[in-house]
Amino acid sequence: MTDKRKRPLRIVAGIASLAILASACGSDKKSGDDNPTTAPAASTTSSVEVPTGGTLTIGAEQEPDCFDWIGSCGGSSWGYWMAGVQTTPAALTPEKQADGTYQYVASNLLTGEPVLETDPVQKVTYEINPDAVWSDGVAITCDDFEYTWDQVANGEDVYDPTGYTDIEKVDCTDPSSPVVVWKKGAVYSGWKQLFGAGYGVWPSHLLKGKDRNAETKDGYDWSGGPWLAKWTKGDNVTLTPNDKYWGTKPKLEKVVFKIQSDTAAQFQSFKSGQVQAIYPQPQLDVIDAIGAGIPKSKSVVNAQTGSLEALWINTSRAPLDSVEVRQALAYSIDRDTIVKQLFGKVGVEKAANSLNPFILAEFSDQESFAGYKLDLAKAEELLTGEGWAKGSDGFYAKDGKTLGFEIKTTEGNKRRQTTLIALQQVLKQAGFDVKITFRKAGDLFGTDGPNGDFDVALYAQVLTAITPGLCGQFCTDSIPTAANGSTGNNWQRFSDPDVDEQLEIIESSLDADKQKAAAKAADKLLAENMASLPLDPLPNIIIWNETVIGPIGDQAVLGPFWNLNEWGCTAGKCA
Amino acid sequence: MLTYLVRRILYSVPVLLAVSFVTFWGLRITTDPLLKFRNLRNAATILPIQRKRLGLDQPIIVQWWKWLLNALQGDLGVSSRTNGAVGGELIHALGTTMHLVIWGTIISSVVAVSVGVYSAVKQYSIGDYAFTGLSYIGIAMPPFWFALMAIVLLVTWPKVHWDLDQPIFYSIGLHSTDRSGIFNLDYFRHLALPVMTLVVQTIASWSRYMRASMLEVLGADYVRAAKAKGVPRRTVILSHALRNALIPLVTVMALDTAFLFGGLIITEKIYSIPGTGTYFLNALTAGDAPALLGYTLLTGILVITANLIADVLYGVLDPRIRLS
Repeated sequence: MTDKRKRPLRIVAGIASLAILASACGSDKKSGDDNPTTAPAASTTSSVEVPTGGTLTIGAEQEPDCFDWIGSCGGSSWGYWMAGVQTTPAALTPEKQADGTYQYVASNLLTGEPVLETDPVQKVTYEINPDAVWSDGVAITCDDFEYTWDQVANGEDVYDPTGYTDIEKVDCTDPSSPVVVWKKGAVYSGWKQLFGAGYGVWPSHLLKGKDRNAETKDGYDWSGGPWLAKWTKGDNVTLTPNDKYWGTKPKLEKVVFKIQSDTAAQFQSFKSGQVQAIYPQPQLDVIDAIGAGIPKSKSVVNAQTGSLEALWINTSRAPLDSVEVRQALAYSIDRDTIVKQLFGKVGVEKAANSLNPFILAEFSDQESFAGYKLDLAKAEELLTGEGWAKGSDGFYAKDGKTLGFEIKTTEGNKRRQTTLIALQQVLKQAGFDVKITFRKAGDLFGTDGPNGDFDVALYAQVLTAITPGLCGQFCTDSIPTAANGSTGNNWQRFSDPDVDEQLEIIESSLDADKQKAAAKAADKLLAENMASLPLDPLPNIIIWNETVIGPIGDQAVLGPFWNLNEWGCTAGKCA
Repeated sequence: MLTYLVRRILYSVPVLLAVSFVTFWGLRITTDPLLKFRNLRNAATILPIQRKRLGLDQPIIVQWWKWLLNALQGDLGVSSRTNGAVGGELIHALGTTMHLVIWGTIISSVVAVSVGVYSAVKQYSIGDYAFTGLSYIGIAMPPFWFALMAIVLLVTWPKVHWDLDQPIFYSIGLHSTDRSGIFNLDYFRHLALPVMTLVVQTIASWSRYMRASMLEVLGADYVRAAKAKGVPRRTVILSHALRNALIPLVTVMALDTAFLFGGLIITEKIYSIPGTGTYFLNALTAGDAPALLGYTLLTGILVITANLIADVLYGVLDPRIRLS
């Protein structure tokens, strides 16, 4: 049970992202006045008849280091979107519900929903679709489930073994019906994500007994999905249809993901028709361009994502180790105005009000931080109550120490730079002395965060599976320590027994209603303690040439290209 | 000549050793070879194993010595980012980069020498002033800005403004997908902008050197003597003056090799060209110490080689210079 507290998430670091695995479910545009994460310019073309043939070229911001999604390359968002999700069959996949949230449903790899049993031990039985075969025609069987479990649970270089390490065995008595049996006493509430988005199922007959990492170092030629992926290092990942795929066959003859890491150059490539679709980071120039309108193109701005950008606060460092100071900080910022300035042009105008991203709305209180509005009188009351007094320089001070802290963020990100400069000015007026430091993504996420070497950090966390609960980020025993190998994700060093209790329930219960109630209670407590301050939902953006048609729309967990097999080009030509 | 070359190569060995050690030491204290394992959920188990496997539990000098011994046998180690052999990856990247370097050097040399000679011969003419102004603009222009402006003005604008089926020039890679080879139109349409970006500063600075050098030579006694003897002006300029004026430029060109490689990092990133610049940038971002070491060693060898070639060229340009 050592890993149960961790949930798949990644940290968005802009262009030089240190991103961890991306599986994601996306959604397309939603609207509604009471919806805090709604965006306008979204449109899809799902009703249009999609012809077959044609080549679509998509600009890709990052290249994976390898195709080993089970290993450390599981952290490559673009790699997973381009090749992982297209080639690895998944048992359960996240599907968007009418309310914009996501739930796991059985994919076409299975004949129906798996059966969960809990007595005497947790056990899940899957029924594999008899039509499901690998690209070489070999049937997908229980052996593949067993191989995948063995690799993730016992492999050396594993991205995230959460959930797999507590499995006792995969019973393959019936090759078409894997039975996953947990160890005695082990309960894994996130069982639906196993063998699903992220790792999927890997071909035992091709990889068993071999070095998985070496076999996938330069890509692989097998597939259990709609596409075969060929990787030309440094240049492109090209998808061609997998003739043996038993589901909806791809309409396009070929999809080329052209690697182009420079965002500005990529935008020009799109405008000049060299690529016909892009999925840019939500940087200010992109927002401006969409706001101004891009000729002959369409776009989807999806603010109902798994992403959350926040001011992550190190609660172990003075002066932010005081709840009152943290609350005063929150009352000193008009978050809605900041969000409106950043994303107002694409219709995102309201700050996020939960430390859970929108896709977990069911398992969170999305308004738990709504009470933190700009209220300088309240901030003053809190600070003076704690013995802080405003000096002649305009900053609060106590015992000769100025009320100040440092905010770190990733370098080279104009959006974050703009945000922090605005924050610095606003907080100066409120009496906080704020310093801004830009760090390389590798330093911020590789050392500063885990070592707690920060006061406040601005970055985004992206949920990559529908896994409720924030224990990984806020439970006491997730604080990085020597005992846990400094691997905990509670970089905030937040510790509160009441929060621990609620988050424990989410982790250990298989009862969804109980989980939901605990999640809402935990959110309320986190807000009361001002554990960190959510800012914005960091929208996902897809822009495509109008010659590209199909049900195009962001999937907040599986990424933007989850249904690429249904995309096409008008008259068989994308240009 | 051969003795000279051998001696120069031997002199280069301690330089390369020093460069490799300083780089190795610098990388060990500034990068974390275990970074990619730290975010793994089973990091606590993996880290000690990997630390031992990579020899990080040994003193830096021992680590460097082992790396050096392997490097001498052609093994530059394994990239911590890609798990591929650094040597093979660098050679592959260098193959791509050489497209830019070769074309860049040829075009820079020809244009810079032509402009420099013209400016010197037509000193204080409108053309001279124009080239002087342009060269200052070229020197002052940051490559990343020039590259983006070139894409906007020469790729996007014509395509959008004239509603072309395809852009006149491309800005991604050196070939279209499924195309390869050189000396074909697709290749040159891809190559044009990256080479232009790469050469704009070198042409600007080299042409200034060439102009200054040419002016000095044109004022020399032997040139005046040749003119007085009635040697045709073209012969004086091209045969007598140019050859001597090239000697200082050759020195600058050799020294600028490192500059050219530096410029490649930006050029290759913006134009998505998988050469050594991109390789270096990816390695730097990932803290990939073996790849960075390999790159530094390669750059060091190339700079030394370029200087060696320059030394040899002195002898070719001026037979009075004897390399011994």
